[in-house]
Amino acid sequence: MTDVTMTVNGQIRSASVPPETTLLQVLREHFNLTGAKLGCDVGDCGACTVIVDGQAVNSCLMLAAQADGRQVLTIEGLASRAGLHPIQKSFENTGALQCGFCGPGALMSAKALLDENLNPTTQEIRDALSGNLCRCTGYTKMIEAVQDAARLLREQSRTQLTHAPTEATAP
Amino acid sequence: MNEHSRILEREKLEIAETLRSSDADLRLPAMVPREPFPIEPLSPDARQQTRAVGQRVTRPDGRLHGLGQTKYIDDLSFPGMLYARIKRAGIASARIKRIDTSAAEVMPGVMAVLIGKEIPTNTFGPTFQDQPVLVDEVVFHAGDGVAAVAAVTEQIANEALDKIVVEYEPLPAVLDPVAAMRGDSPKVHAPDSNIYATKVVRKGNVEKGFAESDRIFEGRFSTQMIEHVSLEPHAAIADWDANGRLTIYATIGRITLARSDMARTLKMPMSRIRIIGTIVGGNFGGKNEITQEPALALLSKKTGRPVKGVFTRGEEFTSTTTRHPIIMDYKTGVTNKGRILARQIRLVLDGGAYCSWSSTTLGKACILSPGPYKIDNVLAEAFVVYTNKTMTGAMRGFGAPQVCFAYESHMDDIAKALGIDPLEIRLLNAFDEGSPSPTGQVLHSVVVKETLRKAADRFGWEPRS
Repeated sequence: MTDVTMTVNGQIRSASVPPETTLLQVLREHFNLTGAKLGCDVGDCGACTVIVDGQAVNSCLMLAAQADGRQVLTIEGLASRAGLHPIQKSFENTGALQCGFCGPGALMSAKALLDENLNPTTQEIRDALSGNLCRCTGYTKMIEAVQDAARLLREQSRTQLTHAPTEATAP
Repeated sequence: MNEHSRILEREKLEIAETLRSSDADLRLPAMVPREPFPIEPLSPDARQQTRAVGQRVTRPDGRLHGLGQTKYIDDLSFPGMLYARIKRAGIASARIKRIDTSAAEVMPGVMAVLIGKEIPTNTFGPTFQDQPVLVDEVVFHAGDGVAAVAAVTEQIANEALDKIVVEYEPLPAVLDPVAAMRGDSPKVHAPDSNIYATKVVRKGNVEKGFAESDRIFEGRFSTQMIEHVSLEPHAAIADWDANGRLTIYATIGRITLARSDMARTLKMPMSRIRIIGTIVGGNFGGKNEITQEPALALLSKKTGRPVKGVFTRGEEFTSTTTRHPIIMDYKTGVTNKGRILARQIRLVLDGGAYCSWSSTTLGKACILSPGPYKIDNVLAEAFVVYTNKTMTGAMRGFGAPQVCFAYESHMDDIAKALGIDPLEIRLLNAFDEGSPSPTGQVLHSVVVKETLRKAADRFGWEPRS
């Protein structure tokens, strides 16, 4: 067994798991965070996407031990008590989620993109979502949603810059 | 009665009436309205837009999807739950000589092993009951399950599958649907013919139509097998309780059909089976029937614990239904001006190992195969045949996309050969309001030509002559 300790959605979590356990398994089975999904188990579909130290990763391809001591953000950590994250809001409003199975992964890929770039071009959004397969939407609504979220986040950061004292953004 | 008493009487009545009606808001009408619903159905006229058109709605379940809180089957777990895996045959056609599960059964962590012989009625299917839950004697395609294992972890279940020894006697496999139609072909489900459903649509006289035609064109078109690839794999949890009641949580679109299929395969009254259809992570026609559920139920019965089974992505491709590949032969007689006089079609649907929704697909493909064109002489014959391949079933359109590809490609070929603009030849032949379909149905709300003109206008189609 391997002991792993990581910061998941701002909380320190640890587990003792067999060494072959993936990050996805540890999140779903040990931490009861079932938002990230198992779609293909080989890194093709992106339903398991989470953010590790700011980078979107396929958690089915990453061993739990590789995430030891690192910062992990899952879909469950996106919304706060204050409300939905702008990406969640825009995905909901544009109808970018149909059956919803790919949603958590796509949202996390979008989040990783917008953390880096608040002015993504359509092509950059396509590239960021290229690892997330979806069979329902045809992707157009998702791209719209990310553009929409980018706009919301830009407005948010402008108001924060002009009015509010600097406050660390949510992880 | 004098005037005074009459006034008093009226006032009394009014007071009584006021008291009586004081709680009118709360009461139900004393009598049911004579016409509780309009006898004339409220259907808007064709092409009339209602106010709902163009309005945006948000999905009621979208919030939970975005929060990652929607619970699909694989997100559920129950105390003491076991994980099931199914051993796949990996051979297209064979007789099973021997199955030895003893090594798997004694593995630590393996709680139960199930083989086809233990299933009370080992056949199911929405049309014909030709599909075994787990094959017992003959393997019909490589994705067939031969044994199922329930273990405390998925990993142990996987290891147990490797310990199960199955000896096969290979049988000749039928892989080409056209060859499968011949009398001397090996039979997938012996001794019956491989052709298991046919449909013919006949209108007018094609021979006469061809005789009157200036030109005759022939073409063969074929499409490939397509898997639905819903992002959520097939998944179910079975819980057989001590009172002999069975609860199935399944990612399935048709719970009532599933319930009757379960009752049949398990030989138990339907009243003892409860199917809970959870949120489906993509269906597209691929989750309309049971797959592994009876096996999970029996594993749960054997162990007294809930059993979860989730297909791998590989199993999704080999062991669930797919879209029918169709070989489509078209023969069309036209005048030199491009008017279609006769069309003869022969469709051969590769049905795979089991029927599933093949006869539905066959019917729709056959009826739609002449295309949306006014043709006086039509003969469409369609056959669906068994082959030793992954079974085919329902998928978006039930055969319509395949024939659409064929007749539109054929139209392009004809237009090119006659030197007519592809748009013109379609406008010349397309259905009008009130045109009869090949089966004689008089069609209303027909906007094929308007649609074509509008589409051509929008994307800037110009005759390339």
